[in-house]
Amino acid sequence: MMKAQRPLILIIDDEESLRDGCRQALEKSGYAVLTAGEGSEGIRIAREKTPEIAFIDLKMPGISGMEIIEILSKDIPDIVLIMITGYATIVSAVEAIQKGAYDYLPKPFSPDQLRTVARRGLDHRDLKIETRRLREEKERMERNFITFVSHEMRSPLVVIRQYIESLKTIAGDRFDKEVTDIISRCGRRIQRLEELIEHWLDLSKIENGTFAQKKEALWLCRIAAGIADEMAPACMNKGISLEINVPEDLPEIIGDEESLMRVFTNIIGNGIKYTPEGGKISFSAGCDDCYVSVNISDTGIGIPQDKLPFIFEPFFRVRGKEEREKGSGLGLTFCKKIMTSHGGEIEASSKEGEGTTFVLKFPTQSSYAGTYSRRPS
Amino acid sequence: MSTKKKVLLIDDDKDFLYATKLILEKGGYEVFLAEDGRRGVEMWKSVSPDLAIIDMMMETWGEGFEVLKKIRATDTGKETPLFMLSAVDLQGPYQSFEPPPEFPKVNKVLHKPVKADDLLGYIASALSK
Repeated sequence: MMKAQRPLILIIDDEESLRDGCRQALEKSGYAVLTAGEGSEGIRIAREKTPEIAFIDLKMPGISGMEIIEILSKDIPDIVLIMITGYATIVSAVEAIQKGAYDYLPKPFSPDQLRTVARRGLDHRDLKIETRRLREEKERMERNFITFVSHEMRSPLVVIRQYIESLKTIAGDRFDKEVTDIISRCGRRIQRLEELIEHWLDLSKIENGTFAQKKEALWLCRIAAGIADEMAPACMNKGISLEINVPEDLPEIIGDEESLMRVFTNIIGNGIKYTPEGGKISFSAGCDDCYVSVNISDTGIGIPQDKLPFIFEPFFRVRGKEEREKGSGLGLTFCKKIMTSHGGEIEASSKEGEGTTFVLKFPTQSSYAGTYSRRPS
Repeated sequence: MSTKKKVLLIDDDKDFLYATKLILEKGGYEVFLAEDGRRGVEMWKSVSPDLAIIDMMMETWGEGFEVLKKIRATDTGKETPLFMLSAVDLQGPYQSFEPPPEFPKVNKVLHKPVKADDLLGYIASALSK
């Protein structure tokens, strides 16, 4: 694709003396020049030799300059087309530029004028190619960013954690409890940093569409049983009761079981964090014509009204800095994105001191089919 | 005469080698380190370890799988326990890493970072068989 040789310029003009004049002027400046006396020959040469620039006379017998411009601008990427005309009017210039010409040169012109226009055209071409190269590079980097992050950021963390593991192994003999405590704390913080990267990668994957999600029919009551198994120990540890009430005859929902499990356990996990001992978390489901909805509510400390609109924003903390240690700050953002990718919705309502309720709505299979049937799968 | 069992660790990350070496030594093993696959296979031949741990993704000499194949192809490497190390998230699609049937046997796939107790436990159980 790259041409190491002299830039190649094609002149398409029916006037022989003009072709020769242009050739001499341009060759003197170090360009390689090809000429054609009429349109179809010009197009053939252009397709074969892919010149950097073509000067095209507007008025020729046979194919008109305007048509040549139209054809070449489509056929030959990056070619710079310059119109030569004896009747330079604004109207014809505008038309040529609309059809893909870069510039125009009114007759008569001097060799210097010709060379200046050619130089400018080449500069324009270089810039265009460079811009495209940079844009492609940027897109490639964006695509590879996730892989980059997972490798470049995780591998040092893995090593640090491995060091901490080895420190823990040898620390017992050589250090007192204070030191081993510090080592464990370091380990926990690093593990949390790893989780943060993991969550953030998940979000980017959802955004660029590479987050693997199945679309299968799911029974909420079966999922609820899994949730009970998974979350019961954490609830018991904190002295919170977990009530699950999902009717068996609920319609199926369409989705990815693994990510929905993460959504549900995430919200319940939040509930456990912010619900005092003796409290209750309930997970219930119901449906109407359009939605199967899941309600997850707790009897926790609640979320202030003015903070409620922001809870799905990445890294938003209801209680500011003191919460920073409690999680990645991306949990609810993840939930929202997963719900959106399921064609669903998630909303929260809360009363301080009384508790918080999350309502998750999934389109029922019939409404889902109605909404998405026109989409190619 | 040392009666310590010999463990060979092959990974292109020097820090990971060093950190893991400390754990293995604490567990009472004589540890040999190789920073790339080529040296790993050479060391395998010269020290005949009782067990080797190979990183799946090394920068030089292709993947750790090549090393595994070469080690399994040696006389001493046919039945010796070989572990593979992966930095891939085993929560994800690699959770059920199953080498293809024609693939040389992998005794255990470990996920980085490896907990000291887990590492020593798996090695002890592989060596006791």
